[in-house]
Amino acid sequence: MEDNIAIKVENLTKKFRIPEHGSPTTLQERFVNPFAKKKMIDFVALKDLSFDVKKGEFFSVIGPNGAGKSTLLKLISGIYIPDGGKIDVNGKLVPFLELGVGFNPDLSAKENVYLNGTILGLTEKEINESVDDIFDFAELKEFEDLSIKKFSSGMQVRLAFSIAIRVKSDILVLDEVLAVGDGEFQKKCFAYFDDIVGKKTILFVSHGLDSVRKYSDRVLWLKEDKTYEIGEPNDMVDRYSATF
Amino acid sequence: MNKNDLDLYKQFVKTTFKMRYKGSILGFLWVLLKPFFMFLILFMIFSHMSSASAGLTSQQYAVYLLSGLIVYTFFNEGMIWGMGSIMERAQLIVKINFKRDVVVASSLSMALINFSINLLIVLAVALILKINITLIGLAYILFIGLTMFLSLYGISFFTSIWLVHVRDLQHIMELVLQLLFYASAVFFPVEMIPENYRFIVYYNPVARFVKAVREALIFGEITDSKFVLLALLSSLVLIILGKIYFNKHIKKVAEHF
Repeated sequence: MEDNIAIKVENLTKKFRIPEHGSPTTLQERFVNPFAKKKMIDFVALKDLSFDVKKGEFFSVIGPNGAGKSTLLKLISGIYIPDGGKIDVNGKLVPFLELGVGFNPDLSAKENVYLNGTILGLTEKEINESVDDIFDFAELKEFEDLSIKKFSSGMQVRLAFSIAIRVKSDILVLDEVLAVGDGEFQKKCFAYFDDIVGKKTILFVSHGLDSVRKYSDRVLWLKEDKTYEIGEPNDMVDRYSATF
Repeated sequence: MNKNDLDLYKQFVKTTFKMRYKGSILGFLWVLLKPFFMFLILFMIFSHMSSASAGLTSQQYAVYLLSGLIVYTFFNEGMIWGMGSIMERAQLIVKINFKRDVVVASSLSMALINFSINLLIVLAVALILKINITLIGLAYILFIGLTMFLSLYGISFFTSIWLVHVRDLQHIMELVLQLLFYASAVFFPVEMIPENYRFIVYYNPVARFVKAVREALIFGEITDSKFVLLALLSSLVLIILGKIYFNKHIKKVAEHF
């Protein structure tokens, strides 16, 4: 793979085997109706998709629900394996498909920082060093011993975001996690994004078309019929917006 | 295993440990109370009958029963927790890519921790009841514990994947383990089983472990070492095969939750 490429996707295909609507799925259903055939059909989530993301590029993926955006991110993050084609990733990739992965509502905020941070790939030592900064950034210093279930959803997301940005990575995979918390905190988030744009490779999936327009270098538009286009952000967003 | 995997393992063990008894007033004491009452019930009912037919004093029978209970409990918890480990972390597995073995290892470690605590208590009880514990007997018990842990680890590589595809396994496993409790001569001596049914105990690895631990504890003897060595070897083979199977199928698991 060339040095200036961060993610290379070639002829990627992903299918899911799902039972056809109305066909029996449990032994009990089959027993009750023994002549109904169990039929599985292939649901094609992605078909023959190829693209490159260059190092330092802000690459966005847009498209309607069911076009395969989340499937694509999960494939690139190594959570699913492709049925065809291949994916090469050059550098350390950290997926943020959801903020606060593994948060345990009964544990205290501090315990959750350790849990979530470790899940995201930080070592205990690294968390020890940055735990104070995390609470400062999240503006939750006085609540660090409170259990997370007492937090409002905004507070939880703020904490999660503050942990997530501590993880050292070359490539960030972001799924609709932008713009969290109240206005004040949102400003901080955007300041962080302004700071890393150009330094890190970012693969971004969002329905927030304004931020796609504002930050992206290039946009991949996945369509329902499994075709796709890659192009300049304003053009892509304009034409995509025209479809609804 | 790199640094982060090890930290992740520690975090999982810590969390599970904290969560298991969080919110209950007696908290961690439940780890001890449940087996204790189980012991008390069985002891009251079977002490007289069993100690007579096995030629044990009632002190010896108490230790006999306790050691059987902790070995069986170790196996029971290891099988259930090991099998459920991947399912239990489903939410995490569909969101992020980390080394999945960590989940299996940490769930099994919980069973090992409980076993170690239980063992300490049994040793304390044995000392109070003036049973002569020998160093070699103790070393043998630890060796058996390790062998059992490795077997459970190997088995869990398979069962944790199977459970995701066939949820019925949960209920099947509970049933099998319940049967195994009676087939492992935990609270009665083998001599009480009619001779033509004793093969059930003979071919049951849990019963063999139970028996070996007992004899090591009460009489300080190393017995059935051929079986234990064979079990150790098989568990190593099982771990290798299990790991290959696990690695092959774990990537697909995220699609089946």
